[in-house]
Amino acid sequence: MAAAPLATLASRAEATDYASPAEVFAAIDRLEAALDERLARLAAAMPAAAELARSVGADHARHRASRAWLRVRLRAAEAAPAVPAPARTAGSVDDARAVAQELVHAYAEGLPALGDATAVDVLAHHMVDDARHLAVLQMWTEADQGA
Amino acid sequence: MPDSRREFMLATARAAGVGGPLLGLLAGRSAPAKSEETDLAILSAALMLEHHAIALYGHGLRRSLFPPGLRAYATEFRGDHQGHRDTQIAILEERGATAPSPREDYDFSGQPAGAAFIRVALEIEVAAQRAYTTLISRIRTNDYLLSAGFILVDEVRHMTVWQRVLGLRIY
Repeated sequence: MAAAPLATLASRAEATDYASPAEVFAAIDRLEAALDERLARLAAAMPAAAELARSVGADHARHRASRAWLRVRLRAAEAAPAVPAPARTAGSVDDARAVAQELVHAYAEGLPALGDATAVDVLAHHMVDDARHLAVLQMWTEADQGA
Repeated sequence: MPDSRREFMLATARAAGVGGPLLGLLAGRSAPAKSEETDLAILSAALMLEHHAIALYGHGLRRSLFPPGLRAYATEFRGDHQGHRDTQIAILEERGATAPSPREDYDFSGQPAGAAFIRVALEIEVAAQRAYTTLISRIRTNDYLLSAGFILVDEVRHMTVWQRVLGLRIY
């Protein structure tokens, strides 16, 4: 049942070394879009996932607006619209969990590249939202595995 | 942050042994410049919260206060807090600082078993999550900022699991 303890697993050597805020924002854009897409597939296949998909989508819309403001503040280039990578499996809770974990890692690994306390504060709050989504998907996966 | 949440976080931080300028920072009354001194103060405060959480989970596991079906979560979360403690002690020692020891007067006697004890565990997790979220933007060095980011993610998992167990809204 134990989810991977993130602080232990993510050794400094394994972390993605982002070079700029623009790279961090681009990674978050891409993974956020991918998670929204996975959850939309999941909700289409499992109505029980619809409320979670709506809630995550609403959080992500708010996060995108804040990142647009941060891009201006940090003079970070706007990335091309994020195109989600194709799903590995259709409508799988574990597939959504894996993308959610990548997204949370991108936040945590991206914080040092921001170089701006306000940006760190904003993205840390976004990361808390996405870590909560990840925890929900982890519990769902654990329940499926235990069933 | 609403005053009630801030007061709750401060009360838990005080109980964990956090004191001095960090309470002012947590209270939003001060915003010290990023500096080595601020990093060390944040590390020390975070460490006191981790010591407190480890002691609380240890007590609950020893006295079987967690419902049987949830002991695995409690064991996992205690292990996470031990990892957070060890990471932050290592960072302090790398910088030539002395890590604060756990308090010797934790008193968890009289804590009820079952859902009531889960609620106590949730309180320390919520306080830790809020403290890390409040303090993270004041961290100066990239190595600690990276570690603190991952620690915060763990705290959110702990908090969300206990909220779900207690039937609280999680999304």
